[in-house]
Amino acid sequence: MAKSQAGLLQGTLDMLILKALSLGALHGYGIGQRIAQISGDALKIEEGSLYPGLYRLEQRGWVQSEWDISDNNQRAKFYKLTRAGRKQLILEERNWEKLAGATMKALRAS
Amino acid sequence: MSRIRGTINSFRARLHPDEIAREVETELRFHVEMRTRANLEAGMTPDQANRAALQSFGDFDQVKSSCCEIRRSLPFNTSLLKMGLHITIALLAGAAALWTVNRPHDSPLSLLFQVGFVAVLTCLFVIARQQKPYRQY
Repeated sequence: MAKSQAGLLQGTLDMLILKALSLGALHGYGIGQRIAQISGDALKIEEGSLYPGLYRLEQRGWVQSEWDISDNNQRAKFYKLTRAGRKQLILEERNWEKLAGATMKALRAS
Repeated sequence: MSRIRGTINSFRARLHPDEIAREVETELRFHVEMRTRANLEAGMTPDQANRAALQSFGDFDQVKSSCCEIRRSLPFNTSLLKMGLHITIALLAGAAALWTVNRPHDSPLSLLFQVGFVAVLTCLFVIARQQKPYRQY
């Protein structure tokens, strides 16, 4: 039970990272900020957990990274979505909508 | 293309683990520094800001080691590759055993050599089977 719950959370985090990057290239800190911003601060993620997620997505070829200079003149690793990542995001959004719709339907059943 | 890049990254991470660990650490430190700055701007003292940044980040060393491990992992399921390797070794060991049995043994040294060859292949098979499965992320 705990395992399936963790899997769901990991998948959700991956989708949120892809969504945040669909709006433009960002470094890890920026991704956390953007997720908080687009969710209206409703989603609080332990900041460190973003990085294993990002590395996983990079290994799968859904995001690509490169070192650059940040706004405060420091070296930072920036991530951007690849074409495969964009397709994956569309797929995950559809799956999520289906799941959310089915769950709502089940909850409203009398 | 992306899998090829992932495989190259994986081999690079295996060949230069220290470089990858440094790279990961630089990235994570940047995050903590950015959070510390934000905390300072929110009115915390430098000490409080840093402590709060580390707290909101979570277990730094754990995250670092997870990232390094993911960088080393291959971007595809290695179980089929391993199964192929095991079957190849088993077939080689079987063929070598047949060859040993059917070949005339002209000297004790050649017999020893052939038996040794079969033993080495058998050991390789046993070792390959005993390896713990590779973690997939």
